[in-house]
Amino acid sequence: MRAVAAGDREALRILHQRYGNALAVVAERILGERADAEEVAADVLWQVWRQAGTYDRARGSVGAWLMTVVRSRAIDRLRSRNARASAHERAGDEAGAHGAADPVADLHSAERRRAVAAAMATLHENERAVLELAYFSDLSQSIIAERTGLPLGTVKSRIRSALLKLREGLQQFGR
Amino acid sequence: MDHDQLKDLLPLEALGRLEGEERAAMAAHLAAGCDECEAELRQFREALAAMAMNAAGEASADRIWSRLESRLKFEQAADSGSPAEAMRAPSSARGASAVRRWRFATAVAAAAAVVLAVVAGRYANNAELTRRQSADRIAALIDQNRALAVENENQRRELAIAHLKLSASGRLTQAMLAPDARVIRLGPLAPARGAAGIVAVSEADRQAVLHVAGLPPPPPGKEYELWWIGAKSGPLRAAVFAPGANGSATVASTMPPVGERLLASAITLEPAGGVDKPTGAAYLKGVP
Repeated sequence: MRAVAAGDREALRILHQRYGNALAVVAERILGERADAEEVAADVLWQVWRQAGTYDRARGSVGAWLMTVVRSRAIDRLRSRNARASAHERAGDEAGAHGAADPVADLHSAERRRAVAAAMATLHENERAVLELAYFSDLSQSIIAERTGLPLGTVKSRIRSALLKLREGLQQFGR
Repeated sequence: MDHDQLKDLLPLEALGRLEGEERAAMAAHLAAGCDECEAELRQFREALAAMAMNAAGEASADRIWSRLESRLKFEQAADSGSPAEAMRAPSSARGASAVRRWRFATAVAAAAAVVLAVVAGRYANNAELTRRQSADRIAALIDQNRALAVENENQRRELAIAHLKLSASGRLTQAMLAPDARVIRLGPLAPARGAAGIVAVSEADRQAVLHVAGLPPPPPGKEYELWWIGAKSGPLRAAVFAPGANGSATVASTMPPVGERLLASAITLEPAGGVDKPTGAAYLKGVP
């Protein structure tokens, strides 16, 4: 990130290789449209290129920072699309408050993917479904409760137990 | 709200899903510098990011890079000043030469210029018309594309929700039909004489599912909690739930404790989110 902040294009290319697809996939899950998702992914990397200096290692990994930013941007775009707003979204503001202390050079390694999959497998199917619905959509907890027919307290407790299990699973399987 | 209550809300904060007073209380708590919550929030965000980065999808890295590259080229050009120059120069040259021509124009040349201007004007109008038509067409296609994407997204959500609704009842049926199914019937206790429940456990499928009916709605801030009561371990939390409007619910629970005799299973009323050991009144109880 320091190299990107210093204007090193090769560093930006490496960052793109490591996270570009993941950014687009997350955006596509939220937006349901690939071209828009790729635009959002490019927006996020462009934001990183322009504002890498605002990244704070003490506050989290590069991956977590990027995922927070891309989710927020994709949801923004979804809202503006639903509101039938203008065709082109402005380049965003706040470079995100979460940064990374990460030597996670192997984020996309097969080993890591297996570890995350194993952690996800510890979730009950209904916990996983609620967690994914809360993450990959713009639905509030109360709307999720309404749409799923579950009481609000259950939605909250499922999200909580899912995330606790996911965190514990990641610790157990190799973070 | 105190620290413990806010700590319970950290998963929702990590998802950006807190609302109203809870959201404001969390912001104030974090702003006040609670290191413990800050650290836990960071862990949850990392876990969500790991989940997100593992989501399956098709590769589109080349197209993303080409979008980025075009921006980088534009930025480089803008920094060097050449595009601005390139865009300005022809226009000022045209302006200067037009002024010169005007100064030396004769009456005949002026008439010819008028004719030329009319023709040029028509071409310009036609070009403008074509440009507008193209822009309208593109805007219509963008709108159409958006509408289809929204429809697609809505269908995807409906599917996820349907899946969610089916999953609990499907799992109950599956657990009850498993060859090694063990079923524990839960009988009503004093607070809910009309209630009944059943827990189906399949060791082979590694799943346990609870179905209850006739439970009264829990008061605000409370939820029901299912317990496994082991001979050695005592009560262990199995599931936390709130029944629907009709008093029924079907939820997955943890598996019963391994390697010890199960004495009973029971449901108590507890603070929302559940507790580690039962504290409230028992509503249903059954023995294996």
